[in-house]
Amino acid sequence: MTTSQRISDELLNSFIDNELESDEKSELLNAIRHDDTLKERVCELRGLKEMIQHAYREPPSCIAPPLKKSAHWKNSCIQNITRLAACLLLLMLGWWSGWIMSAKSHLANNPREMSVFQAAQSNNVAEKPNNFIVNVSSSNPARLKTALDETENLLEANKRAAQPFKVEIVANGGGVNLLRSDVSPFAKRIAMMRIKYPNFDYIACKVSINKLQKNGVIVHLLPHTGVVTSAAGEINKRLIQGWDYVRI
Amino acid sequence: MKILSLLCGTDSFQKQFEAIRPNLYRVAYSWSHNAALADDLVQEALVKALKNSGQLRDPALFNGWVFSILANCWRDHFRQHREMDDIDEIEDHLCATQTTPEDDHSLSQVISRVRAAVAKLPIGQRQVLTLVDLEGFPYIEVASILAIPIGTVMSRLSRARQELKILLNELAPQHTAHVSHLRRVI
Repeated sequence: MTTSQRISDELLNSFIDNELESDEKSELLNAIRHDDTLKERVCELRGLKEMIQHAYREPPSCIAPPLKKSAHWKNSCIQNITRLAACLLLLMLGWWSGWIMSAKSHLANNPREMSVFQAAQSNNVAEKPNNFIVNVSSSNPARLKTALDETENLLEANKRAAQPFKVEIVANGGGVNLLRSDVSPFAKRIAMMRIKYPNFDYIACKVSINKLQKNGVIVHLLPHTGVVTSAAGEINKRLIQGWDYVRI
Repeated sequence: MKILSLLCGTDSFQKQFEAIRPNLYRVAYSWSHNAALADDLVQEALVKALKNSGQLRDPALFNGWVFSILANCWRDHFRQHREMDDIDEIEDHLCATQTTPEDDHSLSQVISRVRAAVAKLPIGQRQVLTLVDLEGFPYIEVASILAIPIGTVMSRLSRARQELKILLNELAPQHTAHVSHLRRVI
């Protein structure tokens, strides 16, 4: 039996794949040096290995189906959102703890201010009531009634609030009829409401009144009705002041 | 701790995923010889790897771990499609096996011949061969990726290379004996 026949394919494969220990490797190298058939077998195997590497160096590319891509995108997107949320949470925690710590350390140096600080904290817990501006621009009696109902509800709901607050009705367009003494179906109700709730006001839009007057209508407003140059301007002003806006 | 890991833990991991993707695709393609399927397999393997990234304790084992996921995806694909034969694919195959001048030409190219030969190998041999030759995995790691004994890896590899030699000879362009020579007529 020749040397080449004695050496198995497994051993030669291990040799070209660099899986042999140094002793085995040197023994095999020695055998290859003296046996041309063995040399040929090794060369053939090496050539085969290189051919396979060459054949798959640049496999044909594939455009991934959109669904899979979106799944991947979605996955990475979710991960990014989670990371962003974690960052925000950490930032908020840092800000909050910093604020508390600085306030505490400041107050620790000024014991007299401590009670004021605690009182302010307890006040902050109770929700600060908002001011409301209710806008009505339709002459439809149902709408006018709704405006009054909503206003009364707001006044009742916030009656026991610690902070003083206001509710204002701004009437423009056809809604001015609510505040016209000769036309309004709710003149008595408005008068009653004004007595009951001192924080309730009602305002008519000058632009709308002028339009009525141009059409030959003489406008008589309810007592204590305020007049503003423009309803839109009034609403805008109140919104800037932080009032809540209710449109009927 | 989870917040901290979210903040700084996953960046290097994602880079590893990006880097390994072409290697995974090359191997998946050498197993399936179907670009779309290879891409699907890689996608699926990467999604699974991302989901289970917490299971990888030793970052040094990353490559082997991802390739073992790919091997599982490939196995699952076979299980799911075992009893299905796509008519379109059969027709494509029939069309592809008809000899046309283009086919003859492409077959004469080394790349096409080698790929055609590898595609004819049994899947077990194909997997071992490509993991060793294309990715340079040691035998022990191939055994771990494919969940087979190392002896099986060696025998499959040996058989694959023997088979490949025969197939490449078969697929080599035959030089016909009937060569028409130009004759001088004048």
